[in-house]
Amino acid sequence: MRVSRDRAASRRLRVISPPALLVALALVAGSAAMAVGQGVPAAAPVDDDAPPILVSRQLLDAERLGVGDVVRLAADPSGQGARRFRVVGVYEPTPDPLRITTERFETRLHLGDLLALTADRADPLWNETVGTINVALADPADAGAFADDLRAKVPGLIVRPTAGEAENASTPFLVIERFHRAIASVTLIASTMFLLALMVMRAEERRETIGILRLIGVSRRRALLQVFAEGLLIAVAGALFGIVLATASQGVFNRFFQWRYDTALVFVRITPTVVWRSVALAVPLGIFSSLVASWALLRRDILALIRR
Amino acid sequence: MSSVVFAWRCLVRQPGRAVLGILGIAAVGALLFDMLLLSRGLVVSLEDLLDRTGFDVRVMSTDGIPLGGPMIPDAVATATAIADLREVDVAVPLRLGRARTAVPGRRRQLPLTFVGAAPAAHPGWTGWHLVEGRDLHEVEAMAAGGVPPILINGALASWLGIAPGAGLALRGSCAVGRYWMPVLDFRVVGIAEFPLDGASRFTVAASLSDFARVCGEEDPDEADLVLVASRLDTGAAAAAEAIRGLYPQLYSFTTEELLDRFERVGFTYFRQIAVVLATITLCFGFLLTTTILTVAVNQRFVEIAALRALGFSRRRIATDLLWESGVLVGAGGLLALPLGAGLAAWLDAILRSMPGVPPNVHFFVFEPRALVLHVALLGATAVCSALYPVWLAACLPIAATLRDEVVS
Repeated sequence: MRVSRDRAASRRLRVISPPALLVALALVAGSAAMAVGQGVPAAAPVDDDAPPILVSRQLLDAERLGVGDVVRLAADPSGQGARRFRVVGVYEPTPDPLRITTERFETRLHLGDLLALTADRADPLWNETVGTINVALADPADAGAFADDLRAKVPGLIVRPTAGEAENASTPFLVIERFHRAIASVTLIASTMFLLALMVMRAEERRETIGILRLIGVSRRRALLQVFAEGLLIAVAGALFGIVLATASQGVFNRFFQWRYDTALVFVRITPTVVWRSVALAVPLGIFSSLVASWALLRRDILALIRR
Repeated sequence: MSSVVFAWRCLVRQPGRAVLGILGIAAVGALLFDMLLLSRGLVVSLEDLLDRTGFDVRVMSTDGIPLGGPMIPDAVATATAIADLREVDVAVPLRLGRARTAVPGRRRQLPLTFVGAAPAAHPGWTGWHLVEGRDLHEVEAMAAGGVPPILINGALASWLGIAPGAGLALRGSCAVGRYWMPVLDFRVVGIAEFPLDGASRFTVAASLSDFARVCGEEDPDEADLVLVASRLDTGAAAAAEAIRGLYPQLYSFTTEELLDRFERVGFTYFRQIAVVLATITLCFGFLLTTTILTVAVNQRFVEIAALRALGFSRRRIATDLLWESGVLVGAGGLLALPLGAGLAAWLDAILRSMPGVPPNVHFFVFEPRALVLHVALLGATAVCSALYPVWLAACLPIAATLRDEVVS
């Protein structure tokens, strides 16, 4: 038993007593736990005795079910002990990055129905037994003290605050984030080279113009200031274009991966932080490249600039 | 002067630009090389691991991967029946779980990978390689006497500073909710190398019945999977087919089928990331080379027109530009290999810090095909990059260009 496993779910289920829990989440993955029987066509006679269930969108699509269909569920992969249920609704499973490659074939049953389906009838407490109870505290900061208190009162009970679990669960994604950052830094180095090469070529093309400007009395400082302004404009325009491109393409990436993994997870999200970070990197880099490339030209002798 | 030498001199004439271009291509090429290593790295690494066990068919009660589904009941009898098949050499039932052991002087217990196998069923074929002491099947009698035997890996032996003959107390933590299993004492009888061994992974192995005791299992005759070694003359596919015929309710996978399934289901994220980034880096390299060559051609219009006037053919000018592109991309691509190798080691270390990744599994694995693909893709980039500058040079009006130069 855990004090709370899922904060969102915990807020909905505030009652601790097992018989009072209205809904149990029965996760049925492939053939692992339950076998899904044939869906009964919509035209079949209505069976009002069949208890209601919700099915996940993925399961509904895969088994070509529809709301109102009657299905048979069994805890045994062979189908032994199957019971009839009526599909009364469809739901989108909570996106879970850790289960991205798993097909989300799931159903939600009333706790009593789930116990009747899966419990060992030889156990005298079969209808009083649950695996986990989620608890939402009035003040989440009390989780540690509450867990200690409960452990002391009911020895043998496993009571765990969810904060630690969330940290553990996020570790793979922190690693993936570090990986993406590393890739981004390499891309940044490559694009800096690209930018420097472009700016050097651009400065080289304007060698004679700069030479003439110097001949008519424009100082190095003034020319450099002009280059700085140009670099700033180019960098800002480039950064803005990049942000617009990324914002426009994020939908394409998300749709592709959502289609590929059949999930509602969001894979790419351009947040204000990402935007500011990009601008903070791109603009100084653009200005730096522009200045470095032009300085190599400006420090030359005027006659060399006009090829005399 | 040959086209190659001419192209080289053209690049050397503008050293700053050439160096920046080569460095840019090198950075892009390094990333491309790494993405090629990443695209199949996990699969190649896993294939190596699976091959090292010596078993080429895996039998499970579910087609779900990874493990965690229902157990195979009557595991020993099932493995014996499978081993009796004409196509099968050896079949070993296996349980995989977790346990903890106390470390003197440390508050936290050390987490271990716990393997349960049937030691007496097939001596010598247990899925691990004994390096010191005795194997489980050799000391089976000891179990009947009292303290059950256990094998540990070298990393655990070094960490705890123990050798065969020492005691080891384990507390099972095999399933969610079973946190308060009693501590059981074992006697270390040997040190073995396990296929998923590594410097930081601690593995122990005991018999199926001892595994069940540690994990608090009611049925000691269950297995997560049965490892099968097929006969050399029939092969893994025939063995898997025979097992499917014998036990239609079980799922048999050859190593190839398992890898194919991993590729389709488990490892798609990194492959897709690799494809996306490889495409972007190729576009990047193409843009960089095209820009450098185009600007170079624009600046050398007069020179090209003069060469044409002197009798250089269009074909010769095009060849020179192609070589220039080739030298630029080739030098960058060559530099990309050591850069990419270093970068791959760094990225691999980042990804391997993910919890649950076996230490012997790598994300970036070198294959000759990755090198061939790297060369082919960069070669294609070099050719494509030269197309527009070549077209510009080929369409150059000779007389008008020379006249403009004289007038200016």
